[in-house]
Amino acid sequence: MKLSIAARLAASYGLLVMGTVAGVAGVFYGATIGLLEQSIDREIETISRRLVDQYQVAAPGSLPDALARELTDGAYSDEEILMLIAADGRVLSGNLLVWPLLDAPAGELQSTWLKRRGQRTPVRFLLRDLGDGNRLLVGRDMREQQAMRELVLRALVVGALVALGLAMGGTVYFRRQLESPIGAIRRATNEIESGDLGRRMPPLGDDEFGRLATDINRMLDRIEQLMDGVRHVSNSIAHDLRTPLTRIRSRLELALGEDGGAEEARGAMADAIAGIDDLIVLFNRLLQIAETESGVNARNFTPIDVNRIAEDMVELYDASAEEQGVALNLTTRQGQPTLGDHNLIASALASLIDNAMKYAGSGAQVEVAAHACRDTVSLSVKDDGPGIPPESLPLVTQRFYRVDPSRSLPGNGLGLSIVEAIATMHGGRLELRNLYPGFEAEIILPRRGLPVPCEP
Amino acid sequence: MKCLVIEDDPITADYILKGLREAGHLPFLCRSGLDGLHHAVNEEWDIVILDRLLPGGVEGLSIVRRLRELEKATPVLVLSALDAIDERVLGLRSGADDYLPKPFAFQELLARVEVLVRRATARGAPPQQYLQVADLVLDLRSRRVRRGETPIPLLPREFRLLEYLMRNSGELITRTMLLEAVWDCHFDPQTNVINVQVSRLRSKIDKDFNPALIHTIRGAGYRFGPEA
Repeated sequence: MKLSIAARLAASYGLLVMGTVAGVAGVFYGATIGLLEQSIDREIETISRRLVDQYQVAAPGSLPDALARELTDGAYSDEEILMLIAADGRVLSGNLLVWPLLDAPAGELQSTWLKRRGQRTPVRFLLRDLGDGNRLLVGRDMREQQAMRELVLRALVVGALVALGLAMGGTVYFRRQLESPIGAIRRATNEIESGDLGRRMPPLGDDEFGRLATDINRMLDRIEQLMDGVRHVSNSIAHDLRTPLTRIRSRLELALGEDGGAEEARGAMADAIAGIDDLIVLFNRLLQIAETESGVNARNFTPIDVNRIAEDMVELYDASAEEQGVALNLTTRQGQPTLGDHNLIASALASLIDNAMKYAGSGAQVEVAAHACRDTVSLSVKDDGPGIPPESLPLVTQRFYRVDPSRSLPGNGLGLSIVEAIATMHGGRLELRNLYPGFEAEIILPRRGLPVPCEP
Repeated sequence: MKCLVIEDDPITADYILKGLREAGHLPFLCRSGLDGLHHAVNEEWDIVILDRLLPGGVEGLSIVRRLRELEKATPVLVLSALDAIDERVLGLRSGADDYLPKPFAFQELLARVEVLVRRATARGAPPQQYLQVADLVLDLRSRRVRRGETPIPLLPREFRLLEYLMRNSGELITRTMLLEAVWDCHFDPQTNVINVQVSRLRSKIDKDFNPALIHTIRGAGYRFGPEA
């Protein structure tokens, strides 16, 4: 049988409490009753040694007097038992009339029960051989100690019962404490599972469960965001792929209906293929955004060198810049390690360079730079073109958004969306700013290694 | 050359087979992964063209892995609708020599196949110092280029571009292949950067000389060599 966590925790808690009580009781018992009994044992030994000495050193005849003195000195006189016993078992002197345990070994402390003053009495005693056949018995009536021992034991048993009760109460409390937040989390997950995707974990305070609920909520937010992304992509596909598809379809249908001959048909086919190729590009880019935004590629991150990427991309675009009459310049700074996907970062930078050359136009100055500042590295592309109308600035990274005057230029309105998705996926961001005159787009990525001072 | 095509979709398979036959090659088609693996392992091929998702749950890449385990160096080109970056990385790590996402243009496939086969054939040859096509000579050691007796100064990247074109002279070279081989870009920069790079190179090596060596194949790419 599998026990619930609550039951297991509660059981261990109960065992722990019982163990603690047993430990404390043991120590307490040893420190009170145990010590008392030890001191009585010592006393018996001391008295017996003294009397034996007296018997052997002074005079055997003086011992009965010594016994009598001992029994009347007022110190424990009531509880003391002293006897001088002859070899044949006769009691020569002492405060007991008979000694029933003549066979008890001499020289060892022992316990027994005797009838004394009409009561069964626990007795601790030490029997000693006096060398001439006589024996000396020193004992102590332990009735009081026995009573105290019983008292302490009873108190301990009561204490243990109270502890057991508390442990059981604690167990119930534990279960409640564990089951109420877990129940709340389970109820919420069940509701989410049955379709209420906007549902979140209830606030559970600032304990472990509260933090777990917060984590689950964050995860749910992320999932919802991704699902929104997917929905957005499908909406985009619906809106922006239908138009070119309709165009291709009409073109082919027209060619089919007309009697234009082979030449006309071939032209329609070539147009259709070109249109489909454009669609494939658009489709790939949409998929790329979705893929990038979901962050699934992050596991392919390797150390990359943004300087090299900047150099490569500038070399890729230098001929085009030359042809378009754009001055393309590069500034790099050494030692800018970061983690990422080389191809994605390169494609993002290529896209920014492409934009700058396209929108700033012939005769423009385009500056590509790799910077490092504190714990970030950045790749920036600056131009001296007209910039973006301020009201469009927050919109240009949306899919398919195109600034009005640029609609006549080739493009699909996805470039900056992809660049932003790539930057975000790398734990960075894309910053766009008008420079009046000019425009700057900057990909800012987290830097590995020690922070470096910023450049002017 | 002998090409093993492992592809289950009949229309795509016909398209590939017809194109390869027209280009003068000898294609052989397998429609299932098991069949394909059997032929790939037991016969000698110049190239294997492989789809990734095959019927019966066979992953095309397992065929590449098996080939490489048997230490067969047959060039393998993977065709796949799985186009995510990590899928490509996985494909190349499994031992494939090239990865072409679907949908593709046949010319792109053919160009890549021919370059792969040529590279495989040249593998055993000793390293050369000079590449020569017509009167254009490229010195790989001193990194100098001359046409006839005239030295032609080139930028480092132009040198790499020319080297790639010369190593594959006579073959169709697509823009994507140039991007990958010369600029190490595995993405499509959307604009005609490659055309412009090639025209700049052309203006350096072809403008004042005869015959022209860089030929544009419309809608496909380039061919390098004295004949168009």
